[in-house]
Amino acid sequence: MLPITPYQIITPLISLLAIVYAWSLVAKQKKTIWEGGLWTLFWSAIAVIALFPDVLDWLTLVTGFKDRQNALVITFLGVLSFIVFSLIIRLEELEQRHIKMVRSMALKDAEVEKKAQ
Amino acid sequence: MSTSSSHIIAVIPAYNESKRIRSVVEGTSKFVDRVVVVDDGSSDDTATVAQRAGAFVVRHGENCGAGAATMTGIEAARALGAEVIVTLDADEQHDPKDIPALLQPLLSGQSDFVFANRFGQRNRIPLIRRFFNAVGNLVTFATTGRWVNDSQCGFKAFGPRAVAEVRIRMSGYEFCTELVRESVQKRWRVAQVPIKVLYSQYTLAKGQSFANGVKTALRILLRSFLR
Repeated sequence: MLPITPYQIITPLISLLAIVYAWSLVAKQKKTIWEGGLWTLFWSAIAVIALFPDVLDWLTLVTGFKDRQNALVITFLGVLSFIVFSLIIRLEELEQRHIKMVRSMALKDAEVEKKAQ
Repeated sequence: MSTSSSHIIAVIPAYNESKRIRSVVEGTSKFVDRVVVVDDGSSDDTATVAQRAGAFVVRHGENCGAGAATMTGIEAARALGAEVIVTLDADEQHDPKDIPALLQPLLSGQSDFVFANRFGQRNRIPLIRRFFNAVGNLVTFATTGRWVNDSQCGFKAFGPRAVAEVRIRMSGYEFCTELVRESVQKRWRVAQVPIKVLYSQYTLAKGQSFANGVKTALRILLRSFLR
């Protein structure tokens, strides 16, 4: 049996924490059970790849990547995409703040409270 | 919940619909207590025409999208004391005569939220529309885990619980999928009611393009994953 590297210990622990965090969000009703399931699948896959690197050989066979180095490049592209997507979400949050302002001004101008009486 | 005492308000988000909003407001008024039109930054007379037709009008200073306009309408309706809210499109695509059927599961206390289903009865729907809706349904199912026969239809009804709890954060057309997610997350009892749909050259031209549809699907998937 090959010796276990620190990476193989830390990554599954991080995955476990991420899964626990995702399900704590489900418990707080901030995520649905379905989304909790999707996150569990994602982080489990990360942990499995860390614990059993040979899985990547099977992945390279299935996906057509010629070697592990290519798989690594693709993984980092995935990480970069994740960062870009996070930025998109941040931009959307700014858009939401803007919409909130437009909405509150619209409701104020319409004098909703007055007309309700 | 008694039928007679329920304060029912219709919310109609509208963008550049001055030619059609009058008939939609007049048709809808027959079935609800009040009609709220949200003019989403139109450059035409939508707000004036809607007001003349008897609607309570809320005006966005600029175009924010269908989801944002719908949420503004819901907030206005809440402030006006709505117990039940019906949302429908401003382009004459939905027949207001279907409102009673849509309200029935709410007023009988069986459901908290009702989805209209354009595919539940014989409607002349173009093939391309059917395809886009099927894709929308699949994306919605993938992100929410709930299958809805017509997840992308703007014709919906909210019961008292849904009126109190609903919160739409998505500004564009993806709010339809967000509402399915809300129904799952907040454990609303849902019903699906077949409705008539009236497609014209105008409504078809106004519909979402393929590029918009793809963009919407990507936004939905991303949001559900990164939320």
